[in-house]
Amino acid sequence: MKPVFRLAVVFLTLAVCGAVFFVVPPAEGLGNLVRIAFFHIPMAWMSVLAFVMSAWWSAAYLRRRDMRDDARSCVSARLGFLFVLLATASGAIFSKLTWGAYWNWDPRQTTIFILILIYGAYLTLRASVPEARRRAVISAVYSLFSCLTVPFLVFILPRLTFSLHPSPLLGGSGRVEMDPVMLAVLAAALADATLIYIWLLRRDSAAAKEESLHEE
Amino acid sequence: MLMFSFTSLAAVSMALAGSVPGPRLLAALLWVILFFAATVGMDRIFLDEAAAGTLETLRLYAPATAVLLGKLAGAFLTLVVLSALLVPLFLVFIGGSVGAPFLFLSVLLLGVLGIAAAGTLTAALSAWAEVRAGLFAILTFPVILPVFLPAVAVTAELFAGETVNLHYLVAMGLYDLLLGVGASVLFDYVWGG
Repeated sequence: MKPVFRLAVVFLTLAVCGAVFFVVPPAEGLGNLVRIAFFHIPMAWMSVLAFVMSAWWSAAYLRRRDMRDDARSCVSARLGFLFVLLATASGAIFSKLTWGAYWNWDPRQTTIFILILIYGAYLTLRASVPEARRRAVISAVYSLFSCLTVPFLVFILPRLTFSLHPSPLLGGSGRVEMDPVMLAVLAAALADATLIYIWLLRRDSAAAKEESLHEE
Repeated sequence: MLMFSFTSLAAVSMALAGSVPGPRLLAALLWVILFFAATVGMDRIFLDEAAAGTLETLRLYAPATAVLLGKLAGAFLTLVVLSALLVPLFLVFIGGSVGAPFLFLSVLLLGVLGIAAAGTLTAALSAWAEVRAGLFAILTFPVILPVFLPAVAVTAELFAGETVNLHYLVAMGLYDLLLGVGASVLFDYVWGG
């Protein structure tokens, strides 16, 4: 990854942090708590994106049998696992401070919990298959198989119980109308998280490919 | 598998010491026991073949889809027999009464079919793992949640004597189908190597 890119990402991250703490106005009804959302929403977005990309590269591996795709899928899942834990933790803190409980099996909490389970299962599976090529096939198949839960998570689960979670389009401020400054900062935070993901993905998948070739 | 489910049933029954839990808890206990009992036997459906050396023969003579569907049917039948023995004992020793036996039967069959469909593929995957303890349950549980959660919900409604939301049953059936189709498509890659 070019130094210019890295510098830009570092700068953007600092700028977003600065904006979240100093520029964004406290939200009506939530006050300063709304600042958590600028961390939580990008993390939740990244955990879903990393999941989709991991499955995408799994499919690419099964089609092309290129170990680089397997390495990317693996690294994407590892990053996604980290993102999903951060999203869950920040969400639980926000939930405690606004709704009064860390955890209440809200549909969105259930969804993210299932995502944790799937990431965990995928990584456990990878860790327990010793042979590199076999592991690549097996984990790619599981990654795609676990995608079958997506229609359930999107269409059925939200109907099982009612949700306190603000709808995603409204952003972190929930019932409050989204202010243009907040929207701009949120967009910057999302872009920043995506760039950090790309950075780490590029860096780690080169290393992961070396690793798997070394094992062979 | 059978002895395991009896043991877990006995553990639950003794721990409750005669007190009858509410419908939701009853339904949850029933499905948790069923799921874990299934994981005990199902993770071996490909390993046994590999150990007996018949896996290679099967690979030579049968196409992947046929092998998967055969294994799936076998797993389904095993689970049906398991629940036929387990569920009556559950109702006797732990409690719960069912007003609509036909609906109860369909929920059981649909739930067990989902476990069989997902479990056949995950058993094929976990057969390649070196460390296998618990892997099957870890892999299968997230994938069958879309069948598992509605199954618990419907069973709870049945135990409570409420009217059942039939949408759940339709959703479970569709999801079973999706799991079966997904498993048979993806099984080609596992089987082909």
